[in-house]
Amino acid sequence: MVKRSSLNGVTPGGHQPRFPGFDVLSQTHMWDPITAGVVLARLGPHDAVRFFTPSEQAIARALLDQLLDQREDPKVPVLEMLDSRLVEESTDGWRYEDLPEDGQAWKQSIGALDKDALDKHPTGFALLAWEQQADIIQAVQDLQSDKWHGMTASRVWSLWTRYACTAYYSHPWAWNEIGFPGPAYPRGYKNATIGGREPFEVADHHQVDPLKQT
Amino acid sequence: MGVLDLFRDGSADGVRDRNASAWLLPLGQDRVNHGLRADARRYDDTDELDAVIVGCGAGGATMLQRLARAGWRVAALDAGPFWDPDRDWVSDEAGSHGLYWTEPRVIAGENPVPLGSNNSGRGVGGSMVHYAGYTPRFHPSDFSTYTNDGVGADWPISYDDLRSYYGLIEGELPVAGQDWPWGDPHRYPHSPHPVGGNGEVFQRGAFALGITAKVGPVAIANGRFGHRPHCIYRGFCLQGCKVNAKASPLITHVPDALAHGAEVRPDSMVTHIEVDGRTRRATGVHYIRDGIEHFQKAAHVVVAGYSIETPRLLLNSASNAFPNGLCNDYDQVGRYLMVQGAPQTGGRFDDEVRMYKAPPPEVSTEDFYETDPSKPYKRGFSIQTVSPLPITWAEHVAGQGHWGHDLRVYMRDYVHWSCLGALCELLPQPENRVTLAEEKDRRGLPVAKFSYTMCDNDKQLIQAARGVMEEILKAAGATEVMTFQRYAHLVGGARMAADERHGVLDADCRSFAVRNLLITDGSVFPTQGSANPALTIMANAARVADRLTTTTSPT
Ligand SMILES: Cc1cc2nc3c(=O)[nH]c(=O)nc-3n(C[C@H](O)[C@H](O)[C@H](O)COP(=O)(O)OP(=O)(O)OC[C@H]3O[C@@H](n4cnc5c(N)ncnc54)[C@H](O)[C@@H]3O)c2cc1C
Ligand code: SF4
Repeated sequence: MVKRSSLNGVTPGGHQPRFPGFDVLSQTHMWDPITAGVVLARLGPHDAVRFFTPSEQAIARALLDQLLDQREDPKVPVLEMLDSRLVEESTDGWRYEDLPEDGQAWKQSIGALDKDALDKHPTGFALLAWEQQADIIQAVQDLQSDKWHGMTASRVWSLWTRYACTAYYSHPWAWNEIGFPGPAYPRGYKNATIGGREPFEVADHHQVDPLKQT
Repeated sequence: MGVLDLFRDGSADGVRDRNASAWLLPLGQDRVNHGLRADARRYDDTDELDAVIVGCGAGGATMLQRLARAGWRVAALDAGPFWDPDRDWVSDEAGSHGLYWTEPRVIAGENPVPLGSNNSGRGVGGSMVHYAGYTPRFHPSDFSTYTNDGVGADWPISYDDLRSYYGLIEGELPVAGQDWPWGDPHRYPHSPHPVGGNGEVFQRGAFALGITAKVGPVAIANGRFGHRPHCIYRGFCLQGCKVNAKASPLITHVPDALAHGAEVRPDSMVTHIEVDGRTRRATGVHYIRDGIEHFQKAAHVVVAGYSIETPRLLLNSASNAFPNGLCNDYDQVGRYLMVQGAPQTGGRFDDEVRMYKAPPPEVSTEDFYETDPSKPYKRGFSIQTVSPLPITWAEHVAGQGHWGHDLRVYMRDYVHWSCLGALCELLPQPENRVTLAEEKDRRGLPVAKFSYTMCDNDKQLIQAARGVMEEILKAAGATEVMTFQRYAHLVGGARMAADERHGVLDADCRSFAVRNLLITDGSVFPTQGSANPALTIMANAARVADRLTTTTSPT
């Protein structure tokens, strides 16, 4: 019998309309220890922020909350995960010719975001209201492959979303939210057919076709 | 061997007699034969090897095993670790970052191609450690696209030169799949795997449209093979197979090589190939291991470092005799680098597909592989199942422009999506190439810069492939489809050609300029077809090893 605690079944923001009761952590006893160590570490304490300065930290956190729509606790600690990657220079192994290395590109681009905020508002990006931040971000996306503060906007966009998604969707709380069970070794799957489910998977209880909701 | 043994050990022919790798792995729950590694041969830098191999991936490890079997004194140096699937690999997407070559590289051109996790691996086993596992053959037409269609290039060899090697390697991996009707029709040693939700969707859609789709070909044993266990259908093939079910040279060729006296020297980055300026022969390689510089002497140097690192190494090996880079007298090194256009199309279904539950490689069609005279473009594409895990799927969704609330809504719908991928034959062009950037790596070596720009034929093919994938998914019942542009599979950059003005290597993959320097990875391809490249890289390396060992004797 697996004990449940307040650590079980957590989803970002605390809502779970689609896969009620689904809990990735209820299966940790089925994971190999090396994988369990790597995945469970994401739930533990994070290093203090080291890469970003305090003011950059505030801008980056606001940007990441926006990109991933994290408005309420509990939040996946995306800023802390990003900061660690940038300290470790754990890049994807390439950079665009017209952008600096990833860490520098992050600093440069959030600095530019703050400039855009100050152009229009009395405060910097981090202190703006949610909708005001969203408008500034949307304007960057709308530029597509045009230049934004000397950088190709679409490439900055790709940098932001790549790092944000990699951090968020590596977290067991995000897996609870989307119904994905996470590690599968050594157990594997037995019911890999359309509509098939393992005993520990939970059916989608509240289908919403994203086309109709977004 | 009796008939019963053939059944029990899963080999279709006398595989064990020519390559016993699968029987040299341990039975039980361990994935590494630690004794075999500990007792393996170790050469001194001052021993003149018959051959030193740079890179122990698809092309390098196949060479290593073949040369060791032929009695050659041979070592493979790899920049990355000697992986232990039990300790080093995890059943997790983000945690597998270390499998990729993530040292700095610069991408440029009008259609820059992301590298790293999208394209290249490191360590013993090379990029096949995290490849999906599709192992189709090239079609006979791939070897003469210039003659047939006036595009691309002709190879100095034909399909017939590779045919028997395809069969050998398919037995050694081994490959599972249905009888293959396309190209040169052939059968596979292992029967097809059962398919998961994503494969079912593809089959249903293809059937409705009259497109032929077949299960396979995948280098995942169906049933036990030697001491390798059966696949457990857990979907993490692109993160390294912790089960030893999916083939990579780490388990298909390295064990047999070690048992035949070869050495694998991990964590050894080759920085420079040494050439005697007077004789224009290679004398060995400089490498750095744990911060210390070494020089390994060898009578032959075989380079198999992947299509980016191979040209980079040649360019970084400039000398008085080769001021523009080794083997680069005619400015051919790094050119004609190719990548397949690999758009992926997702389709939404009311049913739960849960595509993460089976190996991503399941079902393919090659109905669109050949030039269709009724179309404005030449050459074609193949379509296969791909089953992205959440992080990769989120990149697709974000690639559609969704962010914030929309992104989360789409992602919460993950279990309802199915995904297909195309491989489009983009054409080789001289300006698509690797050069050296200003930027240096932490050793002080210039890093590679890769420029890529598509031509019109390329763009038309990608558009056509997208259309077919969307039709298949809709025919299967998808209520919404979305297509994400990407690239896959780098080959070329040091191609075989008829002469030194058109390429770097002759038909035996010896360089025109330095006769005892060979290249045996994907860099040697003059064209790429719409097939995933690993099987052809291995088959060609096996062919080159045969040519080398029949024309040259070990010392
Ligand atoms: C996500 C993904 C999925 C894929 N799926 C498929 C698939 O389904 N089917 C398929 O056929 N292909 C697939 N591929 C591609 C396939 O894996 C590669 O094409 C193939 O492995 C390349 O073989 P290679 O011999 O050229 O190089 P590799 O196998 O990459 O080997 C190169 C080796 O050289 C080493 N090296 C490089 N430079 C040096 C140096 N200077 N000194 C020492 N060592 C060095 C590297 O560490 C590496 O181990 C996939 C690739 C990716 C990224
Ligand atoms: S699905 Fe099968 S082949 Fe792929 S990683 Fe898992 S066990 Fe290995």
